[in-house]
Amino acid sequence: MVTEEEIEQVSKLMKIDVHDHKEFVEKVHSMINYFDILDSAGVEDEEFTIKDLPLSCLRSDKHIPYEEKLIELLKNYKGTFVRAPKMV
Amino acid sequence: MNLKLSALEFVNEVKNGNLSAEDFVSATIERIKKIDGTLHAFLNVNKKAVEQAQLVDKKIKSGKKVGSCFGMPLSVKDNICIKHSKTTCASKMLENFIAPYDATVISKLKEQDAVFVGKVNLDEFAMGLTTEFSAYGPSKNPWNPDYVPGGSSGGSAVSVSAFECVASLGSDTGGSVRNPASFCSVVGFKPTYGLISRYGLISYANSIEQIGPITRTVKDTAFFLNILSGLDPNDNTTINSGNQDFLDGIELGIEGKKIGIIQEMIGEGIDPAVLSATNEAVSKLEGFGAKCETISIDMVKYSVASYYTITATEAGSNLARYDNLRYGYDFPVEGFEFNSYISKARTKFGPEVIRRMILGGFVPSSGHAGKYFLKALKVKSKLTKEVLEAFKKYDYLVAPTVPILPFKIGEKIDDPVALFLVDINTVLANLTGVPSISVPFSISNGLPIGIQLLAKPNDDKSLLKAAYSLESTVKLPDVPI
Repeated sequence: MVTEEEIEQVSKLMKIDVHDHKEFVEKVHSMINYFDILDSAGVEDEEFTIKDLPLSCLRSDKHIPYEEKLIELLKNYKGTFVRAPKMV
Repeated sequence: MNLKLSALEFVNEVKNGNLSAEDFVSATIERIKKIDGTLHAFLNVNKKAVEQAQLVDKKIKSGKKVGSCFGMPLSVKDNICIKHSKTTCASKMLENFIAPYDATVISKLKEQDAVFVGKVNLDEFAMGLTTEFSAYGPSKNPWNPDYVPGGSSGGSAVSVSAFECVASLGSDTGGSVRNPASFCSVVGFKPTYGLISRYGLISYANSIEQIGPITRTVKDTAFFLNILSGLDPNDNTTINSGNQDFLDGIELGIEGKKIGIIQEMIGEGIDPAVLSATNEAVSKLEGFGAKCETISIDMVKYSVASYYTITATEAGSNLARYDNLRYGYDFPVEGFEFNSYISKARTKFGPEVIRRMILGGFVPSSGHAGKYFLKALKVKSKLTKEVLEAFKKYDYLVAPTVPILPFKIGEKIDDPVALFLVDINTVLANLTGVPSISVPFSISNGLPIGIQLLAKPNDDKSLLKAAYSLESTVKLPDVPI
């Protein structure tokens, strides 16, 4: 059983701030509790595979220049520089 | 103007000079103006659509080569990028995001002279199955506007069903094309994973989602697959479809084919009207000379939990980019510390997205991954084995697309687990990568019921034959709007 404190801790780590905290935690709690059904699936010995993709299947690593006009869609730019938020 | 034409009928009419693309697109825009205030399928309408249709007419008149869509008006789910136009994912977070490039599916349709009449509504970031989680308000079911149209591609299905376009593109992560297609009485197709490029589709759970067409007829779906399928260097998960003609042989029938009826999808909780429609569909398939029998796929019981665990995990990762530094909206940074700025900016996400992001942080986290995420992957792996084993014996599997009828707007929105269970019949195809199609089959108390058929991976063409056979047995009333 998952505790509401554990869910609150994950929300903080995910950088998610919600107004209606109690309601969110309760709903997420009920969703996670539903996932407990996985315990009865009997798949402990099951293997799962992740498909490998050889490098030869990937597209060639070529530079694709972006369209210069795209920069005009941004609000804070000067020349070819874009102003990003200053963070502390 | 008859706006009820299928895609193939539209092409024939324009090709033969009986119809101009401009007239049809103009009438389509008028239809949207007239009824979309009630249905709210569209998030925005392309003001240049008529002009673009005129250009196609000019090409036809001047004898230039014209693409196979001949100026056909299409709608596009608003999580698929069209260059220099807004792509909001029905989220306030991307309210003013202008896509810098075309999705591959859009490039392919533009090459074939399709006209995009607008971007259509969805559950925010495609997370939902009713369109109620759109930040811009729900779409309404054209069969009864008090009811949900399904989702997350609800706007796509509504726009096709209500004759606001000829066909639409949606995306299907756990049934998001097939569910609204079933609820709105149109055809919805989820191809084999990799058949259609995802480049330019804003990611939610990229290991299982696919773009798929929503159309009036099965033949129209085949028509769009001919355009949309194929390898794409920008999406390394695409597969070579071998230049198949999906329309070729679609009428050949299914005599001698074996069909498995998935027992777990017609059991507890199924609406009696849906069960009755499913039994009738099975009889019709048998009438074509197919042999149908019930089969059990044990892992179906765990598929919804597996699906939501995997998709939440991928959503947590895919949506981490919306931190208001790389993507976002105008929000001054003064007075915030780094983490609190991001947390504050993310309050623009709607409730369902926030819930799934929290879930996505929780289920793969240290100390919980073994109980949730890894077990979900193991269920997915075992389910895939069971389904592939079933396809050694059967050519197709059949089940109702959704086990219940469309429900009223607001009826289930506060119960996330009840909403989960609506997905039980559709997530199998996404978790296993097999193709699946929803065919409109019946109307009960004025509300549509769709039947879902599935085939083994890469058997999309054969699946369309079975779907066409089933469709040919049905004559449904017109949508009452």
